[in-house]
Amino acid sequence: MAQGNNSIKKILTVAFSLCIVCSIIVSTAAVGLKARQERNQELDRKSNILAVADLYEPGMDVGKEFSQAVTAKVVDLDTGEYTDEVDPETYDGFQAAKDPAQSRTLSGEKDIAGLGRQEQFSTIYLVGDENNPEQIVLPIRGQGLWGLMRGYLSVQGDGNTIGGITFYSHAETPGLGGEVDNPRWKAQWEGKEIYASSDTMEPAIQLVKGGASESTEVDALSGASLTSRGVTKLVQFWLSEEGFGHYLARFRDGVDSQASADASPSDDSEGA
Amino acid sequence: MGIRQTLDNLEPHFHKGGKYEKFYPLYEAVDTIFYAPPSVTKTTAHVRDGIDLKRMMITVWFCTFPAMFFGMWNAGWQANEAIAAGYDSMGGWREMILLTFAGGHDAGSLWSNFVLGATYFLPIYLVTFVIGGFWEVLFAIKRGHEVNEGFFVTSVLYALILPATIPLWQVALGITFGVVIGKEIFGGTGKNFLNPALTGRAFLYFAYPAQISGDAVWVAADGFTGATPLSTAYQSGMAALQDQYSWWDAFLGFIPGSVGETSTLAILIGAVVLIGMKIASWRIVAGVFLGMVAMSSILNLIGSDTNAMFAMPWYWHLVVGGFAFGMVFMATDPVSASMTNPGRFIFGALIGVMTVLIRVVNPAFPEGIMLAILFANLFAPLIDHFFVQANIKRRAKRTAVVAEETA
Amino acid sequence: MSAPTPKGVILTPIFKNNPIALQILGICSALAVTSSLSVSLVMSLAVIFVTAFSSMFVSLIRNHIPSSIRIIVQMTIIASLVIVVDQILKAFAYEMSKQLSVFVGLIITNCIVMGRAEGFAMTNTPTLSFLDGVGNGLGYGFILMTVGFFRELFGSGSLFGVTILETVQNGGWYVPNGLLLLPPSAFFIIGLIIWVLRSLNPEQVEDNEFVMKENTQPKEAV
Repeated sequence: MAQGNNSIKKILTVAFSLCIVCSIIVSTAAVGLKARQERNQELDRKSNILAVADLYEPGMDVGKEFSQAVTAKVVDLDTGEYTDEVDPETYDGFQAAKDPAQSRTLSGEKDIAGLGRQEQFSTIYLVGDENNPEQIVLPIRGQGLWGLMRGYLSVQGDGNTIGGITFYSHAETPGLGGEVDNPRWKAQWEGKEIYASSDTMEPAIQLVKGGASESTEVDALSGASLTSRGVTKLVQFWLSEEGFGHYLARFRDGVDSQASADASPSDDSEGA
Repeated sequence: MGIRQTLDNLEPHFHKGGKYEKFYPLYEAVDTIFYAPPSVTKTTAHVRDGIDLKRMMITVWFCTFPAMFFGMWNAGWQANEAIAAGYDSMGGWREMILLTFAGGHDAGSLWSNFVLGATYFLPIYLVTFVIGGFWEVLFAIKRGHEVNEGFFVTSVLYALILPATIPLWQVALGITFGVVIGKEIFGGTGKNFLNPALTGRAFLYFAYPAQISGDAVWVAADGFTGATPLSTAYQSGMAALQDQYSWWDAFLGFIPGSVGETSTLAILIGAVVLIGMKIASWRIVAGVFLGMVAMSSILNLIGSDTNAMFAMPWYWHLVVGGFAFGMVFMATDPVSASMTNPGRFIFGALIGVMTVLIRVVNPAFPEGIMLAILFANLFAPLIDHFFVQANIKRRAKRTAVVAEETA
Repeated sequence: MSAPTPKGVILTPIFKNNPIALQILGICSALAVTSSLSVSLVMSLAVIFVTAFSSMFVSLIRNHIPSSIRIIVQMTIIASLVIVVDQILKAFAYEMSKQLSVFVGLIITNCIVMGRAEGFAMTNTPTLSFLDGVGNGLGYGFILMTVGFFRELFGSGSLFGVTILETVQNGGWYVPNGLLLLPPSAFFIIGLIIWVLRSLNPEQVEDNEFVMKENTQPKEAV
């Protein structure tokens, strides 16, 4: 090593120039690639939505397809009406749930999905004609075994038949609860029905062990009873009055979307 | 003297330069089944006792018999009950053996239950013995150590903590892992710091959870799901558990579970012999039991609205799952447990406390004793270290030697 | 020790002086990212890139680095490179960067990178340092790919995402080994690799710390 490297002047010079060089490199990379990264995130979100609506094919132009087929809308969960208070392009329901002004606390009884807080508005995606959509893609989330699971659920235009489900973020055990990613398991959701009868807002859809027989039943994940329970709870939560129940009622016959469920249907009798 | 002579005649072949030099460990193993080992202690400590490692291990093996025979009967009984309730039998060659020896499925017949259970347990045990024995002998030959009788115990304990319906290839994989990774890579019996039987089961537990846990694996009838008492309690609460089984059912063993684990009574019979002969340390057993009682009582007091397991009292913890089996046969493994007497209490208590904690607080694992024992195995040397150091210090003080560097 | 040669610095770290298997460095990421081969591959490439270039840059300015702040200087260089790699992955291989999540960022703390910068690059020429970085990255990558191979093949029944053994969940015959999907399984595989490497190169085995008393030795040691 050269002499004099440890003089104060030299130390400062080296440290300073190194910082300059490194920060230029790092910021160039960060700024130069930012647009691309954001586009990636956007595309990732959009392809998840397209995938759950069964419109996704590998290699397709996701951005183009999305803008053609899908309309984003914000729904007021209390009333089930569309709202213009927030912009669907920028509104993030997940963040809003943390903001006391835009969300509410869920108490023990109602909080079956283990959320703690829930946003007032939620962004949903309509596939096809916005007044008479083919599919409605709803964001869902809830506690699995190890952590929060986030995903989308697609409901067909009748507001009762499920089109598909996907989880884009979860921390379940690989091979057990992690099988929520398994395409074969996801495929059996298609065509399942959410509600047992047309006049209730109480969802009946659930995961059952050892062979689903009813149209409102889906096979549980084998060896992962707690993840399965989490999925049941979170799907039921988001499809109930607390979630999108009021909104989905708009598409269904026989239920008044404004009615509050005064009669409590005995959903326990559905248990397998 | 026929055996001695035969063995003596054969012996030269197995020594260095003989025809079967490589197979000396096999010769040695057979020899010491019949006779005390020829080697004698040369240094200062002399122990004169008829019981050596081999006799000790064989005693443990005999002590598992009550649990084993009851377990076979129970496995058959559970299956026959389910079949009587309309489920299909698993069919195949087991069915043929059953029909040949017992005539048919009859939950009321002791013999039918026993034969059906045996068709599940014996193949498991056989596979364990053959595959595990293969590794044991292979390493003995390669490494030049003796084929150790500890393997008798490992294999029977391992077979007894598996569910009856487990596929045999998984049995083979598990015992391979247990013997090779749990024992042989550290130098064989005496040098392993983990209990090999539990290591093998832990491997299966994480590798093939669908075949070794859950509700469908305990009863050998097609499509039958019978939750173990532990998972019933976890999912539906204590009331549901007491509806389904009485405490006496669980104590006597009329519950679904791994083959050898169900009957606390049968296990305790083995325990009495083991402790009476001073093979199992009563301190460890007491430690496990007291640790479990203390922890479960604390959790009972704390209580919980959302977790039903908090309410499980200690006398239920004792009789459900593998607690009794683990306490009596696994925790007391002389190699992987603590060696110092006070250390044994701590070691046992650690197992008891951890078992209850895992059972109650951890959402993913309904049973905790296996993981608790493996966990405590890791701590055994550390626990011993402290007691040995403390002892050294005390002695140094007593003899008034100025101890400068003992810390 | 003889002077390092270009060939030597590339090849030695792969088998003879493997950073993971002999020096037991960089274990953390080897556990975390090896459940699939493609992720292992990207991680290996990222580490090769970072180790090579950080060693080269450190070596380039080694005569000007004040010894009192040398660790910070090395760290800064490594951290900058890692951030650049992370940004590039996020921009061009988004799926991959999602799977690697924080582990790309954690290359900063990978002892291999730091160790080569401090232990080799500070005293050798840029070219040699670069090659040494490549070599150690390859050594790391070799272990990662081997572990990834076993974990993906037996844990998910596939290689690089291509199904080899049709799993039961997808209607096939292979029952995947769930243990291999969990990070601790990499410990076992790395341990077995070390066993194999040491059987092939007995000089890697450390001397006994103490000698056993004669009486307790097996009578017929072969």
